[in-house]
Amino acid sequence: MLRSMAFLLCGSIALTAVAQDAKPTTVLGGIDNPCGVAVQGATGHVFIAAHSGVHRFDPKSGKAHVEISGFPTDIYGKGPKYNIGPLGLAFWDDEHLIVGDGSRPDGDELVRIYKVGKDAAHKDHEPIKEDAAVATLGPIKASEESAKGEGNFYGVASNGKSIFITCNGDDTKGWIAKSTATNGKPGALKLSIATKVATEVDAPVPVIFSLDGKDLVVGQMGEVSTPPGDSLLSIYDPETGKLKKNYKTGLNDIAGLAYSPKTKKLYATDYSWSDSKAGGLFRLDIDGDSIKAVKIASLDKPTACAFDKNGVLYVAVFGTVAEGSDKPAGSLVKFDSGL
Amino acid sequence: MKFLPRCFLLFCGALYAVLVASDAISADPPLGLPSIPVPSDNPMTAEKISLGKQLFFDGRLSADTKVSCASCHDPAKGFSNGEPFATGVGGKKGGRSAPTVINTAYGTLQFWDGRAKSLEDQALGPIQNPIEMTMKLEDVVKRLNGIEGYKTQFKKVFGTDVTSDGMAKAIAAYERTVVSGNAPYDRFKAGDTKALSEAAQRGQKLFFGKAHCSACHAGPNFTDNSFHNVGVGMDKKDFDKGRADISKLAGDTGAFKTPTLREIAKSGPYFHDGSAKTLEEVVEHYLKGGVPNEWLDEEIFNIKIAPTEKADLVKFMTEGLSSPDYPDHKAPELPK
Repeated sequence: MLRSMAFLLCGSIALTAVAQDAKPTTVLGGIDNPCGVAVQGATGHVFIAAHSGVHRFDPKSGKAHVEISGFPTDIYGKGPKYNIGPLGLAFWDDEHLIVGDGSRPDGDELVRIYKVGKDAAHKDHEPIKEDAAVATLGPIKASEESAKGEGNFYGVASNGKSIFITCNGDDTKGWIAKSTATNGKPGALKLSIATKVATEVDAPVPVIFSLDGKDLVVGQMGEVSTPPGDSLLSIYDPETGKLKKNYKTGLNDIAGLAYSPKTKKLYATDYSWSDSKAGGLFRLDIDGDSIKAVKIASLDKPTACAFDKNGVLYVAVFGTVAEGSDKPAGSLVKFDSGL
Repeated sequence: MKFLPRCFLLFCGALYAVLVASDAISADPPLGLPSIPVPSDNPMTAEKISLGKQLFFDGRLSADTKVSCASCHDPAKGFSNGEPFATGVGGKKGGRSAPTVINTAYGTLQFWDGRAKSLEDQALGPIQNPIEMTMKLEDVVKRLNGIEGYKTQFKKVFGTDVTSDGMAKAIAAYERTVVSGNAPYDRFKAGDTKALSEAAQRGQKLFFGKAHCSACHAGPNFTDNSFHNVGVGMDKKDFDKGRADISKLAGDTGAFKTPTLREIAKSGPYFHDGSAKTLEEVVEHYLKGGVPNEWLDEEIFNIKIAPTEKADLVKFMTEGLSSPDYPDHKAPELPK
């Protein structure tokens, strides 16, 4: 009796569901290891952070160029190994782009803010040089709170008053760093939320504000070397840093988060490091204390994602380099409005 | 660990109550630990757990009828064997130490290299291993079907004769009852300020801070369930490649599963190769940053702490993570 009850109960509850009816369209290919995406509100231009720099893509013309270049190279992983450069992107205001660094060793990495303008004028000029930022935050050096200093600033969220940066330096803490603006200028970057202490899971990666701006929504990637479905969706108070909610999503490695401005639904990308076939784009349906991840589309190692104001979703896809090839496999794909 | 929906966990809680009423071994999860994840195709019952316990302690599952699961996973030795390596039929030695069974119910991938995807998947491995129990599955099944007590129990639990599938499920169900929580650490965390000595409290602060232990030994079971190259045995010419032999990823070379630290005082010697006799040796290894190698985990690096702090760190692990409710299981009467 117990046996049959258990079977029935478990069989009636699905952690993840599949509704793969959305089709991605590749709008830009040949990008080397893209990890960050941000959409400029005024222009609809899509900015992509990759090893080679920050690219600007104009959806109207379908053309792209390198907007910011000259970043150093760091190597992620011990096999496979990936060359990485700038990582997280978010806009401070319509003209200023915040770029989280991944191109230096922990303890030396920076957060830079660049004036990128609204008119794509740089397409006919030299790219902005990496060190020609209008503001630089960090580095966060080694201290009692961070054994080796912080780095791999993958996630960036900004509401124009504060900037939150996910860090992957000290794995005992899983820090989110914060910069608070004074008189419109971002202040020093300081360690703010110890996510691993709060959740007991590693690696805060994507970070966004909730639609009402009251919550900080964080994807906690968990361990990448196994596929245990350990990724969390965690909600923090951006003022106090207090953990408000914590959801076990069942996803493997959440790498991107974005709210649809049209449907108000929340979407996540799952990089799924050790089982890339399980990765893709998921909708996260939250009902009180429960969450359900619904698979929307399979993607080959998706990273960051961002909606434009019309509800078109852009996703950076890391991709897999073909054996024997030296051509970058990364791409930018889009899902048309409707999500 | 695959996430289990809340209502399933509630169901498991109700099941624990049933098991207590049925004089089973397990009860509600102890303080500090979450509910035990139970696969939907192998629900826990008192009869199945009892059957699994008998199989776990029964040497007749091995070629010489003397080596049981408990030989290398002895409750009196922290569910390990107190030796650097597992010892099988005829005294043959394996290449790795016997990992503890304690709280392995919370694990995801099993064995030091994670080659088994569940406890059920793991349970039959050592029986067939030529340097452990050295049996063919069909021979074990045949032998156990000749034991009336087993035949009767398998009929009752699974509705079949003895089968390898049933053996795996029963052993796994029993292993899910080998649980240790409610340690001084848990009581201290729950608000009992006297649960840890001052030295252990200092050690706890080091553990979660400067000593960097919680980079991998995290969560309620003090493991991230992941695989790391911590620079053990990497100075040998033919070093053990560990997880890489399974994952085929170069980055996993020399990486092994993070073991739980619950009841660590009882389960030495330590590391996958049993090369550290004491926890003091383990601490020294980590403070030196392990044996340098190409695949060394980035969380392993030289750390400077004072000798008194080393003692505090060990005190936290030995005192703080040893439960008064240790699952000191005794061998059951075996069927004839």
